[in-house]
Amino acid sequence: MKMRKKDAAFARRQNRMGYLFMAPWIIGFLLFTLFPFVATIGLSFTSVNSTIRGYEITFTGWENYITAFFKNVEFVPALGEFVMMIVPYTFMIVVVSFVVAYFLNRIKRGKAFFRTIFFLPVIIMSGPVMWQILDSQTVINGVAMPDEYTNLFLFNILESYSPAFSNMLSGVFRQLSTILWFTGIPIVLFINGMQKINPSMYEAARIDSANEWQILWKITMPQIRPIALISSIFAIAQLSTYNINTVYTLIRTATANMSNGLGYAATYAWIYSLVVLLMIGIAFVIFRAPRDKEVPLP
Amino acid sequence: MKKISARLLKNSGYKAGSLVIYFILICVSFVYMEPVFRVISKTFMSAADVIDPAVEWLPRASSTENLRIAARVLNLQKSLVNSLWFSALLAGAQTIVSALTGYALSRYEFKFKRFWFMMILLAFIVPLPVLMVPRLMMFITFQEATGIKMIGTALPQVAMALMGQGVYSTVLILIFNNFFNMIPRVLDEAAMIDGASPIQVFYHVVVRLSLTTVLVVFLFSFVWNWNETYVTGTLVAGTIELLPAKLNLFDQQFESMVSSAGSAFRLNEAYKMAATLISILPLILLYLIVQKQFIQGIENTGITGE
Repeated sequence: MKMRKKDAAFARRQNRMGYLFMAPWIIGFLLFTLFPFVATIGLSFTSVNSTIRGYEITFTGWENYITAFFKNVEFVPALGEFVMMIVPYTFMIVVVSFVVAYFLNRIKRGKAFFRTIFFLPVIIMSGPVMWQILDSQTVINGVAMPDEYTNLFLFNILESYSPAFSNMLSGVFRQLSTILWFTGIPIVLFINGMQKINPSMYEAARIDSANEWQILWKITMPQIRPIALISSIFAIAQLSTYNINTVYTLIRTATANMSNGLGYAATYAWIYSLVVLLMIGIAFVIFRAPRDKEVPLP
Repeated sequence: MKKISARLLKNSGYKAGSLVIYFILICVSFVYMEPVFRVISKTFMSAADVIDPAVEWLPRASSTENLRIAARVLNLQKSLVNSLWFSALLAGAQTIVSALTGYALSRYEFKFKRFWFMMILLAFIVPLPVLMVPRLMMFITFQEATGIKMIGTALPQVAMALMGQGVYSTVLILIFNNFFNMIPRVLDEAAMIDGASPIQVFYHVVVRLSLTTVLVVFLFSFVWNWNETYVTGTLVAGTIELLPAKLNLFDQQFESMVSSAGSAFRLNEAYKMAATLISILPLILLYLIVQKQFIQGIENTGITGE
């Protein structure tokens, strides 16, 4: 009886101290993340006027959404552009970082050297730097450079079938370096994950005379799936915070505009976030662990 | 005999395979570094070299003229010092809170712990634009209600960092949490038996043992705060001159400085790349010193499953 009382006191103490240490984060989360998140949804249905007496908020219903989708000629194309960018980028980031990590895991010497190179972009990458570099790649003294890739025969064939697809592909090629720059953290995660795969699994596979290719597909890839999920989520989150896409510019100009800019900005931001969260949801569905299938025993 | 030759064959096959791997890795590294190389090579080019199609990588006559001009447009001295203290301040705040939160998750069993842990992970994927409008309105309202100047100062971001809502806070918390989990609890218990309070245990036992982790988290936070421009651009709005923000406005500022000086300079790639080089140079130097710790920091987030 006495013991149980002590246990309860201990649990209470644990609870209190835990919350004490968590307090700054929890307060900050409620104040600066949860509340703004909910408020943005509300604001997207209003018109916000910044006056001397503070903000005048009037409810306008679906007005902002109608403006975003039907009246503003820039928003929908910008959103489409964003989706067309983020899908191939994320795919490339996950695939390239997996391949690089796989190779890095197989070499003996120079591992640290290569890792240092692949991680460098994580440190120096910022919106303005990316923008300046991208700008210098495509434009020289104000004249757009002709695209070397689009002259390839293969591209001409693709172009005649589906211009949109070939556009996307040439975009991927043109910005290969930039895409690679997002792979720094995923590579480290993949290497780390690969090293944690139980070596006896490989051994068992080799005894059953599986070749490297089969081992890659049957053991490494399924085992590494959770990391692919984390990497893709990380890639989407990072890509969507870089101001290299036009939606960002739209939101920023709307935020700076004081006569009902904020209402529009909230609407744009909310739609944009829905798209980003949708992308993360899709990544989740693709990479989540498959349900254990019942394997019938012979 | 047969056995030996078979082994030799296998060995050479392995060697050839690893040569191919090295070749591919070197190619990929080159694509990685290509933008950096280009930035460096363009930095030292003259205006004539930039438009000369015959000059691909090596400038005909190298000069540091571009760097000098870019530094002047960037207002280097001031913006460098500003960027340093600004990032260090936010990084300090973020490090403290991440340590506290990571400690709570590692050592205490409190109610709804799993829920809060999920919230920490979710906070990472919420896109920033959706939060910025209400945040901006909150700070402006606060500023008008109290008369304390918020917008255009570092205060709003310090407040957010102090409450764990800075750049990539989630990653920092995970690094701390994972490292604290590796410190044996026996040490805490021993200190508690000797009469240490929880805060004393936290500081004198756990933090003292993880000084390298504290440094790694601080450096990550420093670098990310340095590179962050969206939140800073909205809340500081250019009042404090910071290096990345100046780089963002480099083109306009160059034009306006040239036109006010009435000279015949024209903006070209060389100036832009020189400015880019200047703004990433401090980070590259930092990376060269502590690159190993950076990589280990990410390895120690524990999100690869332990």
